[in-house]
Amino acid sequence: MREIGDDVRRARQKRLLARGASSEYQDLAVYERVERALNRALAARESGVLLLPELFEDAADVRLTEQLRVTSHRPLLGPLIVFVKRRIILPLTRTLFEYCQDNFRRQQQVNEVLMACIEELALENALLEKQARGETRG
Amino acid sequence: MKLACVVHRYGSDIAGGSEAHCRQIAHRLAAHHDVTVLTTCARDHVTWRNEYAAGESMDGRVRVLRFPVARERSLMRFRDATDAALAREATDADEEQWFRENGPDTPALLAHLQQSGQSYELVLFWAFRYAEVFFGVPLVASRAILVPTAEDDRIVRMPLSARLFEQAAGFIFLTPEEQTLVARQLDEPLAPSCVVGAGLDAPPPPSTTDLTSLGIKPPFFLYLGRVDPNKGCEGLLRHFARFAAERSHVPQLVLAGPENMPIADAPWLKRLGFVDEAVRDALLTQATALVVPSRYESLSLVLLEGWNRRLPAIVNRACEVLDGQVRRADGGLSYADYDEFAHSLGYLLDHPDVARQLGQQGFDYVERWYRWPTVLETIEQFLQQVRHRADVM
Repeated sequence: MREIGDDVRRARQKRLLARGASSEYQDLAVYERVERALNRALAARESGVLLLPELFEDAADVRLTEQLRVTSHRPLLGPLIVFVKRRIILPLTRTLFEYCQDNFRRQQQVNEVLMACIEELALENALLEKQARGETRG
Repeated sequence: MKLACVVHRYGSDIAGGSEAHCRQIAHRLAAHHDVTVLTTCARDHVTWRNEYAAGESMDGRVRVLRFPVARERSLMRFRDATDAALAREATDADEEQWFRENGPDTPALLAHLQQSGQSYELVLFWAFRYAEVFFGVPLVASRAILVPTAEDDRIVRMPLSARLFEQAAGFIFLTPEEQTLVARQLDEPLAPSCVVGAGLDAPPPPSTTDLTSLGIKPPFFLYLGRVDPNKGCEGLLRHFARFAAERSHVPQLVLAGPENMPIADAPWLKRLGFVDEAVRDALLTQATALVVPSRYESLSLVLLEGWNRRLPAIVNRACEVLDGQVRRADGGLSYADYDEFAHSLGYLLDHPDVARQLGQQGFDYVERWYRWPTVLETIEQFLQQVRHRADVM
């Protein structure tokens, strides 16, 4: 509902300013514009349509490895090593593993949000440049 | 029509969304069709231990064929299979193994589909993530209707899940969001589909059960269902604790459902555990609003049940299904962060007339789309359409 959205926006603006946020936020229009840009970034992150990850040399480098795959490259001892890792070492360290996995998931989310924010800023910058040059749509 | 309904568990004592959905629809279709349920002997969805007798029985007008589960689930192997299937280098074999380890492993049911599947004009499969669906749909693909009950998680996004979806002759979805979710996994257009949700009967007269004897007094907010981190309950309790700390007059938060996580007691918190129908009804009738904090829902029956009693809802906007339902019904509010959560609760407390209006709108939405005659008419027309298409092809 719009009035709740407006109330939330004003209350949050007030709270951030009270904590020492940028004085630019005193201008409600500026604050709303920033909030809109960040919300667009969050939405883009959730729908997985970012450009920035595509520009990495190897797309696999963009994601944290949240799942553990137990393997061995050794031809003869490999199956024994995998068995020991999976049935002895991993159960003993399961609690630590799951703690790390939770944090990897959170870090992955933070990484995605940051990439989305950078991309949103780049997009806004491009649009402002275009406006400043007075270009018309082709 | 001669129809088969394939589901991993079946019975009047089975608590589970997709299982209940299958049973309710099977019963109502059986009024006009020859319906056979193909299911397992399992009662418990974690172990798949055989507890029902194998063989044929009747459940009202529905014929039930139960097949034994060949092996119980090994949680250790299932965990290994999940790690492998969701890893970066996962192969088709890894993903197929996930479906095997998820189970239930029921070779006799699959053999029945192989030998007798063509004797059914249509075969409806419930819940795509279970083995009897993954391995069963290809056996009767040209007459397979899938009721995926899919949520937006990593399993639905596995490539082999998309290959399963490609094989179905048709789909019955619970929400438009689920329809979009499944369609997004495919390169080709989706097979014919319909969106029906679930059927609800008109609500009983409001319960007069006295909740004060349970230590509950209005105003209170209600969470109904399994109290579990996977249902967003950790976030709910964190938000509500902060909300309570910021207010002078604090409403109660009532948790009604089995608990699957540690919970710290608080003066504003009322934990009831599992509740009977009379108490459940009274809670839904007397609460200020129902809170649904889950990020992963394929329908949320509890949301519809709340609206069926004119109870407004406050839902987590991160769940597209919940957000979509609340928008379509205009039956509540949604939140994306703590500030919106707190303002939504405060708003409904301060504007009871608006809360009543939202609840009424939710009820009107249920009346329009979720009464059994409407749901069944949609399913009947769809089944005829798919059968005709299969005949032509």
